[in-house]
Amino acid sequence: MKTTVLLSAARHPVSGREALARLEAQAIALATRLGGDIRGLHAGPESDALREALGVGLSKIDRIDAPNGSDPMEDLASHLRAAGPDLILAGRRGQGGLDSGLLPYRLAERLGLTLVADAIAIEAGSEAGTVRIDQALKKGDRRRVTVRLPVIVTVHPLAPPPAAFAYGAARRGMISTHPVNDPIRQEGQGSEWEERPYRNRPKLMRTASASSGDAAEKLFVDPDPKEAARLILDYLERNGIRQF
Amino acid sequence: MTAASLLPLLVLAMIVVAGVQIGRRALLWRSGSFADVDWVAGVKALPKRYLVDVHHVVDRDKSASRMHVPVAAGLVGSAGLLVLGLVPGIAGSRIYWAVVALAFAVMAAGVVLVARRRYPRAMPRLSLGRYQRTPVYLGLFAGGGLLCALLASFGDPLPFFSFLGLILAAAGGLALAAQAATGPMRHALAGAAHLALHPRPERFDERLPKGRATGLKPIDLDAAKLGREEPADFAWNRLLSFDACIQCGRCEAACPAFAAGQPLSPKHLIADLAAASGGGHASAYAGNPYPNERSVAREGGLHHAVIGTGGMVHPDTIWSCTTCRACVEECPMMIEHVDSIVDLRRYQTLEHGAVPGKGADILDNSRLTDEPNGHDVATRTDFAAGLDLKRLDDGARTDVLLWMGQAAFDMRGQRTLRALIKLLKEAKVDFAVLGEERDCGDLARRLGDEATFQRLARANIGALSKVGFQRILTADPHALHTLRNEYPAFGGDYEVVHHTAFLNDLVASGRLSPARLTGAAITYHDPCYLGRYNGEFDAPRALLDALGLERREMARSKRKSMCCGGGGGAPIADIPGDNRIPDLRMEQVRQTGAATVAVACPQCTAMLEGVTGDRAEVRDVAELLLDAVEAGRGEKAKTEARAREVETA
Amino acid sequence: MSRTRRDPRNEREAKSVASNTRRRFDLGLVASTSRRPRRDPRAEFASAEVEGRSRRRFDRTQTTAAIARPIAEAPHRRQEEVKPATRIVETPAFLVFAVLEAPKNRLSRFDRQVLGAARMLADAKDGGGAVVALAPAGLEEVGAAGADRILPFADDLALDDASRAAQLRAAMESLEPRHVLFAEDGRSADLARRLAASTGESFLADVVYLTAKQAARRKIGMTAEEFGAPPRLVSIGEDRVAAYAGAPCEARPIEDETHASPAAGSAIVSVETIPGDPASLSLSETDFVVSAGNGVSDFEAFKALAAELSGTPGASRVVCDAGLMPRGAQVGASGTVLAADCYLALGIAGAPQHLQGVAACEHVIAVNTDLHAAMVERAGLAIIQDAQRVMPALRELLEERRNAS
Repeated sequence: MKTTVLLSAARHPVSGREALARLEAQAIALATRLGGDIRGLHAGPESDALREALGVGLSKIDRIDAPNGSDPMEDLASHLRAAGPDLILAGRRGQGGLDSGLLPYRLAERLGLTLVADAIAIEAGSEAGTVRIDQALKKGDRRRVTVRLPVIVTVHPLAPPPAAFAYGAARRGMISTHPVNDPIRQEGQGSEWEERPYRNRPKLMRTASASSGDAAEKLFVDPDPKEAARLILDYLERNGIRQF
Repeated sequence: MTAASLLPLLVLAMIVVAGVQIGRRALLWRSGSFADVDWVAGVKALPKRYLVDVHHVVDRDKSASRMHVPVAAGLVGSAGLLVLGLVPGIAGSRIYWAVVALAFAVMAAGVVLVARRRYPRAMPRLSLGRYQRTPVYLGLFAGGGLLCALLASFGDPLPFFSFLGLILAAAGGLALAAQAATGPMRHALAGAAHLALHPRPERFDERLPKGRATGLKPIDLDAAKLGREEPADFAWNRLLSFDACIQCGRCEAACPAFAAGQPLSPKHLIADLAAASGGGHASAYAGNPYPNERSVAREGGLHHAVIGTGGMVHPDTIWSCTTCRACVEECPMMIEHVDSIVDLRRYQTLEHGAVPGKGADILDNSRLTDEPNGHDVATRTDFAAGLDLKRLDDGARTDVLLWMGQAAFDMRGQRTLRALIKLLKEAKVDFAVLGEERDCGDLARRLGDEATFQRLARANIGALSKVGFQRILTADPHALHTLRNEYPAFGGDYEVVHHTAFLNDLVASGRLSPARLTGAAITYHDPCYLGRYNGEFDAPRALLDALGLERREMARSKRKSMCCGGGGGAPIADIPGDNRIPDLRMEQVRQTGAATVAVACPQCTAMLEGVTGDRAEVRDVAELLLDAVEAGRGEKAKTEARAREVETA
Repeated sequence: MSRTRRDPRNEREAKSVASNTRRRFDLGLVASTSRRPRRDPRAEFASAEVEGRSRRRFDRTQTTAAIARPIAEAPHRRQEEVKPATRIVETPAFLVFAVLEAPKNRLSRFDRQVLGAARMLADAKDGGGAVVALAPAGLEEVGAAGADRILPFADDLALDDASRAAQLRAAMESLEPRHVLFAEDGRSADLARRLAASTGESFLADVVYLTAKQAARRKIGMTAEEFGAPPRLVSIGEDRVAAYAGAPCEARPIEDETHASPAAGSAIVSVETIPGDPASLSLSETDFVVSAGNGVSDFEAFKALAAELSGTPGASRVVCDAGLMPRGAQVGASGTVLAADCYLALGIAGAPQHLQGVAACEHVIAVNTDLHAAMVERAGLAIIQDAQRVMPALRELLEERRNAS
């Protein structure tokens, strides 16, 4: 089994330093569990994030020497077409670029591959050439999909935690650099939209009163335990938490 | 041919047997890695190290020193005299035999004292097994020798009893010699060699400040293997140091993790490390097991990984350590347990990323944001926005550089820092903080991430070199220790002072005038990194006494103080035990009846304040002093007002 | 790289007033170093007030006043309060699709927000647009939440995702909506991207700010924003747009005649759905946590109750420290920070660290003997009673209801 883990150019949200996205570290952990030949793939200038990836379980990374800010899609597609991995793993959303989570879907469209989203576990299928993927759904539900290889899989945050960074491993890993195939075609990315600096935007508040609107004061002092139990169960049912 | 004339030969036989046994151990020591040792200086210093340093520690347990002096002196004395007896003519002298008999008698008296520590019931911290049998062998040797020599001094009137004595002495003596490689008697030669060839010779140098001998040593990050995995990775004199252990269990009795039921006993660990290098001929361990012992294969060998379920020691054992150095402080054999634990951790962390609990997050943050909890270091001074705190730009100068540490990001720690800043302003101290203070790296280093520590150390030293200051002041003993004792290895040599010492000076020189506080008694909890690591016990106490409160000492204070459980990344590894260390410490506070426990470390504050239920109030020394100074200001204003009234009237 | 940060020292300095006695600050003064608009604490305070409570309550999580107030404040609300007649859009000028997830066949808060966003886009400028909810048939309250039409679009988990995207694509081709709105969450987020990748339609993902004129989202690791007029495909971040609170809409069922042919050549071999078991779920994933604190002493009964309520058991730090519950069950800043919908706190007073862990929970039920406990203040339903007495009563009542049904 040949697995490629797509690596984005993530930065740490606090320090702004180049750092591996957690989802990609989790993807590496999933790939490591599955075993086989695992390589990382990144399109862009050199980044410390790649060292980080070597420290959490990758031993080999291919880096396509694409300039900063270019659309990595074509470079990745042509590299993947040539390398021909069975399994392509990506975070459900990359970081450091458009961060739209669209790239795996565009790659799937371009390479004509099936995409399975939000994986939390990947195992070899019972049939040769298949894998069994557990997808995370709402409220702890899971969806188990068996799919024929090759396939693109995006990783959900509930996937097992990544391996901890090991300096020794990062020191030993190899990064091989590949030139871009078509250096002329390097149109900018995301010109469709205007850009402005980040601004902090608060989220809406999350309390019962704000959303469901039944705002009667709900304080009951010293009720009979039976009455208290009834109040609790009614509250749970009325708000659709559980039906008894 | 008298029985007594065979005694010298017995001693020769014992020396040969012991020599062969120790030789086998020495071959093992040789398989350790390189260590830079000054043999000449070490051997020269040996008598002083043994007679002063070792006995200083041994003497803290009177039952040990009282038994060790006669046994060791008797054994060495009698054996030495008997070897002298090989010189022709001497053995014929009755006076000679009387002197030999005296040496044996001294030893026999010591053996009685040894036996009283073990029979009818051994002290709980002592190991049993071979260790329990040793007094018997010593007794046989001393008793038999005494009988034999005594009779010889009377002209050998009862040859049967002389031979009986010889046989007893031979049985005991040869049994002792045969155990020289794996049994309790190993400590004698290994201990002496360890003293001479100690990995930290600086700890015996009284001219050096205490902290110089307690800092961790850096490792080469370009080495083929980082940290210690198997016995052969340890420096040869470390392997030697494991063999010096006499399993007296003082470390175990002092260990906070052991007391809290976490799976760590320093004694057991050192015994395991010694047994691991021996591989096949490791003796069975007969001391207290690790509390809540995790099961491991207990397989060892020079080239077999020590840590892991397939090795000798479970990882939880090394991650339970708070690096409080209580074990090192108590060890009469001068073994450095913490060094070895950190070396083992380094391998786990650097080569495998195998840090338990929240350790991986802490190290990720330290690596990627320069701060263990992932805060933006540029916001470190935000808490002091209203305090007009001066920040040093590159090239600027100040007298005192205030190092804030992690406390600046913690609401409780900020309270202490605010109190300290107010006091400094009150005393008109010229002080400032660094524009961008990164974490000192203490936590990363104790968690085994030497790479991150070294990067942080170099970055901080770089930042410190761009500004001018006389000395660094900090309220965090961990930062103090790291900056003062561990940065010099990277070229940063600073005068670092703890806030308790600094404030004490301000009070002593009259720049701060605290009023005398009234109220319930207080007790003081010594932070490990200030007390045991840096030998500073007096300044905080002097400062508290200046406040006029009744100060009560806990049973474990100063050098013997018990850790709060917050050091060495132990709260991050969070290895489960039966109790929490801070709960145990708070119970000790309660026993003093003090209503307030004064602390001098943000980590101790956090750990002790985390104790739930009815407990003593936890106040930093700086906070208490600020109370007193503010009270003093009130009084001063009152007296001045009164004086004015008098004037106008 | 990193965003510009405030320097509180300089800001404070800039506000100092020349005075020959004590240092004084005019904190109302706009610091010249800051490029931001000046904050008005009074307005922020007012905007943080939670409506509809007899006692005044404030939501201190709000950091600026620049937050979209619920659409309930739109002009039409007051009239409709008098006359809550159903709004009917007979001949819509254009359509706005709102793709709803409706877990367990109920509208989630997020679904309501997607409908709220759709309503806003449909009513923008001249208005006249109609909101089409794409949701499982028979879903209630869709009209009240702002949908004029409802187009059956069930989330059939047995169907492969590409076919579902094809189905939606067919509906888009036949009904030609101006916008299609998705929740940036789970299956909807996946669907939005499949559609964007296969149609090449312009798409803004995880929008954090949405008005009829402008949609904005973060990019480059939250260091920049891109914005523009709302495109055809938009996925909305959670808690970014307020739910609709106006007059109920019609929610007239409509049919889409065209039927998409299932996507050919899929590599999917089999699909199987496994329901989650709350008892074994991780705290970070579950929707309902039943949690024990100091006020609980019978932990066997507590665990049984959690199982009977099909909630995930949690605990306060004290309980975990004492070893009564495993460390993994600890809720709070130093344990797990929850994303659950509901938190039932039995005998938990609510230390600040603990409350941080439940900050995102929409519903909090507190059972506590202390009327003044922080958890009681935080709760939507607070019962001042001994948790040890309420637990058996709850178990009895559950037993009764089970037998009755």
